[in-house]
Parts: sequence; C-alpha cells; structure tokens
Amino acid sequence: MKVLFFTGKGGVGKSTLSAATAWQLSQTGYCVLAVSFDPAHNLGDIFGVKLTHKKKKFTKNLYLQEIDLETAASEYVRTNVSLLTEVYGYLQSFNMDKYFKVLRFSPGIEEYAALTALEKILKNEVSKYDYLVIDTPPTGLTLRMLALPRITLTWVDQLIRLRKEILNKRYTIHNLKGKYEPRGVQLAYKEEDDPVIRKLFQLREKYSEVNDILQGEKNSVAIVFNPDYLSLRESERLIKGLKDLQFPLRVAFNNKLTDENNEIALEVEAKLLSAGCPKRIERVPLIPHKGISGYMIEHNLTASFL
Amino acid sequence: MKRHGFVNWIKHILSTIDTSHREQAAGLTEFEARELENIFVLLLMGSFTGIPAPPSFIAAELLPHLQHEIKVLKFRAENASDSLAEMAGLLGID
Ligand SMILES: Nc1ncnc2c1ncn2[C@@H]1O[C@H](COP(=O)(O)OP(=O)(O)OP(=O)(O)O)[C@@H](O)[C@H]1O
Ligand SMILES: [Mg+2]
Repeated sequence: MKVLFFTGKGGVGKSTLSAATAWQLSQTGYCVLAVSFDPAHNLGDIFGVKLTHKKKKFTKNLYLQEIDLETAASEYVRTNVSLLTEVYGYLQSFNMDKYFKVLRFSPGIEEYAALTALEKILKNEVSKYDYLVIDTPPTGLTLRMLALPRITLTWVDQLIRLRKEILNKRYTIHNLKGKYEPRGVQLAYKEEDDPVIRKLFQLREKYSEVNDILQGEKNSVAIVFNPDYLSLRESERLIKGLKDLQFPLRVAFNNKLTDENNEIALEVEAKLLSAGCPKRIERVPLIPHKGISGYMIEHNLTASFL
Repeated sequence: MKRHGFVNWIKHILSTIDTSHREQAAGLTEFEARELENIFVLLLMGSFTGIPAPPSFIAAELLPHLQHEIKVLKFRAENASDSLAEMAGLLGID
C-alpha cells in the first residue's frame, strides 16, 4: 500500500486535490482509501456523502473515512487510564469517566490520538488497498503527529540505555553480594527478567515500524501551495519541518494558477525550489467556479504517484 | 600445627579484607544504582519535574512495573540533603 499525505497551508486546496487524486486513482482501477485527518472535515462534503469515524464504501474500489479526532482523543485517554486502573484498582473509584471530556484537551493529546488512528489504519488496511490518501490537519498538528514516532523512539532509546545501566549495576551488586534484595524485594538484573526493559523494547519495535513506513519508499508527502506569499512562507516552514523529520517530500502542487498570477507563480516556485521543494512541481489551473464539482477535476493528478 | 594456624589466620584476614572491599564496592554500586533508578522515574515524570516529558503513553505503559523505582524516588526526595553525606561515607571520607 502506498501512502500519500497532502499537506499545505489552510485553503490552498489539500482537500480538493487529495479527493480528486483518490478518485482518479480509483478510476484507474486501484483500490483506494481516502482518509481525512483534518478536524474541520470536508471529505464528505466534497463527495456529497455523510461520513463517520468508520470507513464508507463510495464505489467498489474507493472507500472514504473521516477521522473523528474527538473520539480518537477520548479513546486514547481511556486506553491509557485503563492501563493504570488495571494496576491501581482504586483509581476506578475516582470515576475517571467524568474527566475524559477535559482530559482530551491536555497538551499533546491531539497528536497522540491522530497518530494512534493512523497506526490503526496502517496496521489493518495495508493488505486491502493500493493507496491510502490522507488529507492532513493544519500544518502544526501534522508535523507534531508525524514527529511523534521519532520523538518516541528518541525517548525510548534513551530510557533503554539508562535501564541497561541500572541492570548492569544490579548485576554487579548481585555478583559482589550473592544477592540484591533491598527491603526483601528481588530486583531483576537480567534483561529477560525485567518487565520495564521488555516493555521498552516492545515500544521501540512498534514505533520503528511506524517510522519506517513514514520515512519509507512507499510513502509520499505532497505539498500543495498557491501562487501567493503567505502560502510561500508556510510552505518553506513545512519543507524545513519535513526535512528535519526525514520525510519523503516527493511532489509539489502549484494550485489555482491563472494567466494573471503566472509571474508570481514562477517566483514562488523558484523560492521553494531553493528551500528544498521537490523538483517535481505539478501545475494545476484555477478552475472556474462552475467547473469544480466536488472530486472531479479534469487535470490529471496521479502521474507523480504511480 | 602452629604453622597451619598462621596460614588460616592469614586466610581469614585476607577474606575479611576481601569481604569488606566487596561490601564497600557493593555499597558504592548500590548508591549508583539508586541514583540511576531515581533519574529513570524522574525522566518519566517530566511534567511533574518541569522538564520536557516523554510522550505520556510511555510512562503509562511502564508505571505498573516501577514500584521499586518510585520508592527510591520517594526515599531520595526525603533524603536529598543526606545524599552527599552518604556518598562521603561510602568513599570513606570523614
Ligand atoms: N484548482 C482549483 N480551482 C478552483 N478552486 C479551487 C482549486 N483548488 C481548490 N479550490 C477551492 O478552494 C477552496 C479551498 O480548497 P480546499 O478546501 O480543498 O483547501 P484545503 O487546503 O483543504 O483547506 P482547509 O485547510 O480549510 O482544509 C475550495 O472552495 C475549493 O473548491
Ligand atoms: Mg481541507
């Protein structure tokens, strides 16, 4: 399954182009799942259907889904709290449910939730679709979500290193004293006996997999921009952010071109190229208002993704 | 007979020295282990200490297995000022 992310500043045409790309790929015969991660969804509007958290069949080889970040965030909080209540049973009497509504506004929850939803799709849908086309949320959230696997891996590696040192010390003490049981508790000194390091290994494996997919051959990030300076600035930031994260930015769409904005369009392209924008820039004309009907646009968008 | 006793006596002394060295070494290593365990939980509780926290699910996954480390954290918090004295004691500095 190939994964295509459509990124870019608000209003540049991410939803329009991702929907049209998904449609065109499905018309070529590929099995496509189009998913919107933008909390202000309009995938359903574009296709003229009502969408939910669950994917919906649009044609026999095109499925649509809108990730409900609210639900995803509550699910995320719930899963984590239930991890704790399993051990600390008394937490149940706190009736955490009451707090879920506000906990989901805790810092960071939104990107955890978005990433968890993405992981789920990557895990469950890989074999069913040729393409996963993703309409992304606003730039900041997109970058934070995409950075999360790397951040997690950085932390986990650091914690593993520290944990190994702890186990080493315990092993030394064990050798010197025959046993090491502070306050009568036998502490693990081998990796295979230590649940903490084993959990850390599990986390490392899981997030390496996600990160490998995101940085891998089959992933394409597309950046959409318009011929104007605001869109240029945000695109520069986005390109830099993606580069820092080592994500494969493969295509750019210069969208809404007209004869009048041709000059500035070229200027913006030149500036973005020097900022590290992919060489491949697809030009999409501004379609007269009546000409845009949802997901169907005449211009062929799929060439860069085949 | 007498000679035999002397050898045993030497052996005993050496083993005492060895034991005391081992114990001193073990004491020092135990101190280091506790410090590292303390740092380990402190890192996980970043939002508690004010330093950047790891993604919260890491802490949530590990917490159930960290009873010992949390005891160490509590102990160290209560005895923070004694820590230098403890180290001096271990190193034999008066
Ligand atoms: N090539 C085009 N020609 C004409 N209109 C376009 C074109 N591309 C996009 N639009 C229009 O621009 C508006 C914004 O597009 P769209 O909703 O796809 O942007 P977006 O990047 O998804 O915005 P948001 O950040 O709000 O989700 C829409 O009204 C859409 O119909
Ligand atoms: Mg949109």
